[in-house]
Amino acid sequence: MVFAGPVATKILAELGAEVIKIESRQRPDVFSRANVYPENAPGNDPWNRGCLFHSLNAGKMGISLNLGVQKGREIFKRLAKKSDVVIENFSPRVMENWGLNYEQIRKVNPRLIMVSISGLGNYGPLRDYYMYVPGMEGMSGMSHNTGFPDEPPLLSGCAYGDWIAGANASMALITALFHQKATGKGQYIDISGREAAICHIGDIVMDYTLNRRDRTRMGNKSPRYAQGCYRCKGDDEWIAIGIETESQWRVFVRAMGRPELLNNAAFASMHRRLENQSELDPLIEEWTSQRDKFEIMETLQKLRIPAGAVLNMKEVNLDPHLKKRGFFQIIDHGSDIGKRPMPSQIPAKIRGCKKGTLKRAPHIGEDTEYILGSLLGMSARDMNELEKEEIIGNLPVFPPGRPTRLDLLDRQQAGSIDPKYLKELGRHYGVGIGPDEDQ
Amino acid sequence: MAPMDRKVFSNIKILDLTEGIAGPYCTKLFGSFGAEVIKIEKPNMGDISRKMGPFLNDEYNLEKSGTFFYLNTNKKSITLKLRSKKGIEICKRLLGKTDVLVESYAPGGLAKLGLSKRVLQEINPSLIVTSISAFGKTGPYRNYRANNLTSSALGGAMYLMRPGTDPKKKPVVQGGFQAEYTTGLLSYIATVAALIGRTDTGSGASIDIAAMECVATTLMGHVAEYSYLGFSRRTNPFAIHGYPIGYSVPCKDGWISLTPGIGGAPNIPLLIGKPELQDDRLFTRTQSRMAEPEKFDALIIPWLMNHDKWNITAEAQELRLAFTPVLSAGELFDDPQLNARKFFDETSHPELGDVTFPGSPAKLSKTPWKSLRAPLLGEHNKEIFCRYGYSQAEIREWRQAGII
Repeated sequence: MVFAGPVATKILAELGAEVIKIESRQRPDVFSRANVYPENAPGNDPWNRGCLFHSLNAGKMGISLNLGVQKGREIFKRLAKKSDVVIENFSPRVMENWGLNYEQIRKVNPRLIMVSISGLGNYGPLRDYYMYVPGMEGMSGMSHNTGFPDEPPLLSGCAYGDWIAGANASMALITALFHQKATGKGQYIDISGREAAICHIGDIVMDYTLNRRDRTRMGNKSPRYAQGCYRCKGDDEWIAIGIETESQWRVFVRAMGRPELLNNAAFASMHRRLENQSELDPLIEEWTSQRDKFEIMETLQKLRIPAGAVLNMKEVNLDPHLKKRGFFQIIDHGSDIGKRPMPSQIPAKIRGCKKGTLKRAPHIGEDTEYILGSLLGMSARDMNELEKEEIIGNLPVFPPGRPTRLDLLDRQQAGSIDPKYLKELGRHYGVGIGPDEDQ
Repeated sequence: MAPMDRKVFSNIKILDLTEGIAGPYCTKLFGSFGAEVIKIEKPNMGDISRKMGPFLNDEYNLEKSGTFFYLNTNKKSITLKLRSKKGIEICKRLLGKTDVLVESYAPGGLAKLGLSKRVLQEINPSLIVTSISAFGKTGPYRNYRANNLTSSALGGAMYLMRPGTDPKKKPVVQGGFQAEYTTGLLSYIATVAALIGRTDTGSGASIDIAAMECVATTLMGHVAEYSYLGFSRRTNPFAIHGYPIGYSVPCKDGWISLTPGIGGAPNIPLLIGKPELQDDRLFTRTQSRMAEPEKFDALIIPWLMNHDKWNITAEAQELRLAFTPVLSAGELFDDPQLNARKFFDETSHPELGDVTFPGSPAKLSKTPWKSLRAPLLGEHNKEIFCRYGYSQAEIREWRQAGII
């Protein structure tokens, strides 16, 4: 549920696996289903309209099954018997309490791979810590090393710790699938999102290991050369620039119209520029702040200097490079939501392995009948009974759908709103984006 | 063979033509799961990461870089001048018996060396070629220069690295080299997918993977907020979730990160010793809290400032509050959970001595991870070249000619 598990299975779905997502009407994936509705309208079935859910669950099938009761768990075991993989990201005790831990499931299907994703791992003294992304990022050393010096540790704005947990789960899972294909054997995989995050700051940990130097936040600085993020013309516009070599420095100062800086001893080498970056940065910002970020990027790239505009979400959606490479797939969500661009979770272009267009994310319980019928051979009568006992069903227990508080977003300056987004996207992708009536 | 000794990729050979961070992280994962990874390095210079710190005792030395060590565990190193006729000839002989070539040249770089797609196909039709670059082989930015900072900017991840309390502040890159690790990880996943595909078809594949796109995947559904609402977030906004996610508050000996509001928030007054506030709207209604984050902070921070992070965490966890300590890299070594799980690997290295370093990102019960040290520059020249049928005399000759 939420992000980590769904990232792992979205990667597999994009690579062609048949993924069956289990929710229940009692416990749907509320967090991601209840967030950010199209045109801010929750509609009559808000649970089927949330954009976070749509983007991470496209290409999967969805069934509802209440694992809180014995009968639901029996059905789950029958599904596990016919599957290659079971993956879950409950708190560590949940599957155990249900009698569905690996030891119990493998009795049903010895070649099964089971993956458990949690914050701190499935065993150990702190395994039951109650935590979310801030805990994974915070306890890994990542937050301590993210942000400006003398300011609070900064947690990510996009639940990056969850992404790390999910992508690493997918890494371990595909490794186990290779093994399963070769040997016919299953295994158990225990992922701690916090441990996976530590692996992504290995170079920082090494400074402690080798030198007992405990690093902390260094803003946008590199330990090796001068680089930074600079304000550009406009409101909240920025560019990232790195000056890695002497030849880059020479052409850079000319591009800024400041050739006299070549004679300034404070900036005479990579090392000196790094040392005196607090003097250098205002000079660079004086130049960038008068100019458009894309114009600067183009100017500097022509001179072979690494420069990248800081793209906002609108600009990522409308980026010409991502469009050319097909990073977004246009997925049709039916007449009331229509087509929307959805990001890939495994953007590799694999020649010899064609990726089809993914089906939109499933409604709650959308494929229950098909899966229980075709895979387990259940009859309509069986399923009617299950529905009466509330073991399956398409009507979830769900909080009232609330529109996003645009007034608060605006007051807190938490982001920007572009009212013309449907038109912009339609023009960019050359197809109608959004509900049918707007086309 | 004992089952625990058997590694997933025991029969897989990887030729590693990458340097830096993303490519080496991809091949490190292969090496750690048992593949034989032969890393080709430039004679006398080696991988660029050998020149990146941290160095042991800050002494600049190609064999003393912690970054190189961490990213190249479980690999073999040979040196080879690929910009020479002989070098390419030797490389081609190795490729004949390679399952996967991973490379991180700029687009077209491999072809320039004489290893075009057609040549590779002729040498080894079942070869999988994984090409890792900043922008990929196609698209308008393909020839652009990039580093971790600029890839994080263009992939969109940097824009939303701002505190909820000051969302128009200058964006900051995530600590370390996240764009690079992200790219290495996804490159590995795509390559294993191709290997699985090859067991059915027998034919190779080529993979084109771009750091900018890998960064953009980490945005997950947040990037789709634009196509649903026209919204570009600058931070993790209170106004969407009803509570702040991405939030650190100070305490006596550092920082706590917390997620107040997903369950359990009425218990915060118990934690801070003010049970009379349990019915206050600030703690019972997420809407009140999100409208007045400063008021909420003003109530809890004075108490936190009098307590240590691990003590706060222990008490808060008893009350089912999602409070956890913000740890530095050094503090990880005292963490009881990591120690109980034997997270860190240990080995010794001729130049670095005993080294403790982050171990496996995942615990696989049947196919555990190896933890052998990184190689010295050209350490495996003799072993590999002899295995491929070259004589000691030839190797000596190449050494004199500067080919290895």
